[in-house]
Amino acid sequence: MTAVAPRSESSVRSSKRTEVLENRPVNLDGFVEEWPEKGLVAMESDFDPAPSVRVEDGRIVELDGRTRDRFDFMDTFIADHAIDVDTCEDAMATPSVEIARALVDPRTTRAEIVALGRGLTPAKILDVVKLMNVVEIMMGIQKTRSRRTPANQAHSTSAKDNPIQVAADAAEGAVRGFAELETTLGVVRYAPLVAIGLQVGGQVGRGGVLTQCALEEATELDLGMRGITAYAETISIYGTESVFVDGDDTPWSKAFLASAYASRGIKMRFTSGTGSEVQMGNAEGRSMLYLEIRCILMAKGAGVQGLQNGSISCIGVPGAVPGGIRAVAAENLVASWMDLECASGNDQSFSHSAMRRTSRLLPQMLPGTDFVCSGYSAVPNMDNMFAGSNVDTEDYDDWNTIQRDMQVDGGLRHVREDVILQVRNKAARAMQAVFAELDLPAITDEEVEAATYANSSDDYPDRDVLADLDGARSVMDRGITGLDLVKALERSGFGDVAENYLQVLRQRVSGDLLQTAAIFTGDFVPLAAINDANDYAGPGTGYRLSGERWEELKKLRHVTSAENPEEEVS
Amino acid sequence: MSTPTADSVRTLSLREIGPAERGTRADEVVIALSPAFGDPFTKTIVDVPHAEVIRQLLAGIEERGGTARVIKVYRTADLAAVAHLGAKLSGSGIAVGVLSRGTTVLHQRDLARLSNLELFPQAPLLDAEVFRMIGANAAQYAQGQSPKPVPTRNDQMARPRWQAKAALLHLKEFDCIDKDRAAVEVEPVITTVD
Repeated sequence: MTAVAPRSESSVRSSKRTEVLENRPVNLDGFVEEWPEKGLVAMESDFDPAPSVRVEDGRIVELDGRTRDRFDFMDTFIADHAIDVDTCEDAMATPSVEIARALVDPRTTRAEIVALGRGLTPAKILDVVKLMNVVEIMMGIQKTRSRRTPANQAHSTSAKDNPIQVAADAAEGAVRGFAELETTLGVVRYAPLVAIGLQVGGQVGRGGVLTQCALEEATELDLGMRGITAYAETISIYGTESVFVDGDDTPWSKAFLASAYASRGIKMRFTSGTGSEVQMGNAEGRSMLYLEIRCILMAKGAGVQGLQNGSISCIGVPGAVPGGIRAVAAENLVASWMDLECASGNDQSFSHSAMRRTSRLLPQMLPGTDFVCSGYSAVPNMDNMFAGSNVDTEDYDDWNTIQRDMQVDGGLRHVREDVILQVRNKAARAMQAVFAELDLPAITDEEVEAATYANSSDDYPDRDVLADLDGARSVMDRGITGLDLVKALERSGFGDVAENYLQVLRQRVSGDLLQTAAIFTGDFVPLAAINDANDYAGPGTGYRLSGERWEELKKLRHVTSAENPEEEVS
Repeated sequence: MSTPTADSVRTLSLREIGPAERGTRADEVVIALSPAFGDPFTKTIVDVPHAEVIRQLLAGIEERGGTARVIKVYRTADLAAVAHLGAKLSGSGIAVGVLSRGTTVLHQRDLARLSNLELFPQAPLLDAEVFRMIGANAAQYAQGQSPKPVPTRNDQMARPRWQAKAALLHLKEFDCIDKDRAAVEVEPVITTVD
């Protein structure tokens, strides 16, 4: 808990009703008034520029009221790399209301609206989405999402950086359905062992799971190049030049980093979100959504396939101002509309109120996004080293029930206890074998047993941290790669896990993971915008929850049997 | 909202002594305060009175046998810069930097500006007890010792409650920056009001 007294302390007598309301969890959340002059405003500000574009000699010379001689480096990058010079003057001449209606209207195809979007400036895009209410924004997301099949992503971390815990929770997360798993660290030096845990555990749960480890950029790239991780996501970009410069970065340096990943066939996406600029005091008087749209166009201009957005770690800022969660949904819409894979947030502790946490995720969960959460905490939030998620392991059954109630696919499923215990145990044993093969600090049978039945890091025996850190360093010093891990798994009797892992490594040669919104099925068939393109065109079209998958999602922990009401099915 | 029930209230005024200069005592700690500390703001993001912040820091320093000087910085509201300036003016090279919302850092003259000895980034978790421990550690660093770092706290629900208010306070503090005004040494005067 925070060091603060309850808010209701007052000498003035209040009603019993007020007392009840004061004690509701929602009143532990923070709310502030808007301050548009400083950019503390979601998406409707008089201080945002008016849309404009002017082209001379095949070059954009004016963008949203600024002439080229007054461009900051974001303007330059967007004008030169993100906006289609050939179509922009026509696209900008289209009334915003027509574009907004086309986003909602199923008779306008995704391809048409995406093509029109290529010619729009940040202020024009803002002008369009400002016309849309939250239901219309969801309609737009449903149509513009890149991949036809929605998916979900998980966090698997440990408050003690325990690699066995990370492996067991990764295995459980994989079998529950997550397509991507990511981890990060408390003690950064632990990274190689925890990244190995995530990768090995993920491949035990099922085939086709992709993993990443969020770290300082050079180490993150190194782990990716070695094949210890399979994708990268935490490459942050910002909507103002001043915030970019504060981080010693530019759009060009980020684009260079992106190309380093692409050169090895490694999937990657950028990260941005509303609220980061005002949080750092450098919003330059623009609304949060206007600045986020600049980020989205910058990502597009850099040529990356996707973006993680939806405020992300600054969610407390849009969450505290009027219309903020509408703006967050709008940023997901714009990322999808700009033809990027969208990993759509819902990944940070957002509210004390269960009602508010749920309402915050519906604009992504109901229409479906490429990753509804980026990520869902596949560990209890106390173990979440991304500082907690909007949903965690305690919410698994609620999530599954909402999927069943609404007949929507949020990427997860109910899994029987015996299956979960089996994959957790196998993940821990695979780690035990890999550590032994690679001469890393031993994993005891007691730890394997703990991993099988554990909930949180409290349920595991403590590791010898200093020995582990030595081991982690030796992984880097010895130049251990993904292939070494595959060999260790194969040698120690985990041939099926080795095979899954090898498939992940092979894919970087084929380049399939570089396609927009690429994930794998359990059989390593890539699903991406190129072969699983979203074909939503109104009622009866697009992704529908039916057949085998719907049967799977009808299952919950407790469902009374129709045949024999004295029994439950699960 | 924060009407006290039992205890009396302490208020803080910062009486200007003169320009902030380099100290001579080899074991002193400089407490470097941000532009809005004490005036116009009077309490941290979780309503810890600024008087209490100063009182606890000074008490922590004193109980470890240290001495302290307090300076107020006007040209920047960047915590690292505030604290590093304090460290450069400190006879021992040790400073505690404090923003008006409570965010605190222990800094040392020879470290890079963005480095630190101990950082306390989550202002909502800093109460009187923590400020006292920070003061005690500052005094020990100033005496050339290596104290055990103050235990850090973590609360994942601090974000939903405090992130936006922190942003607002940050913006307000930025508004109090006076690029033309050099740092001054101040004498903290703590008055008890019943």
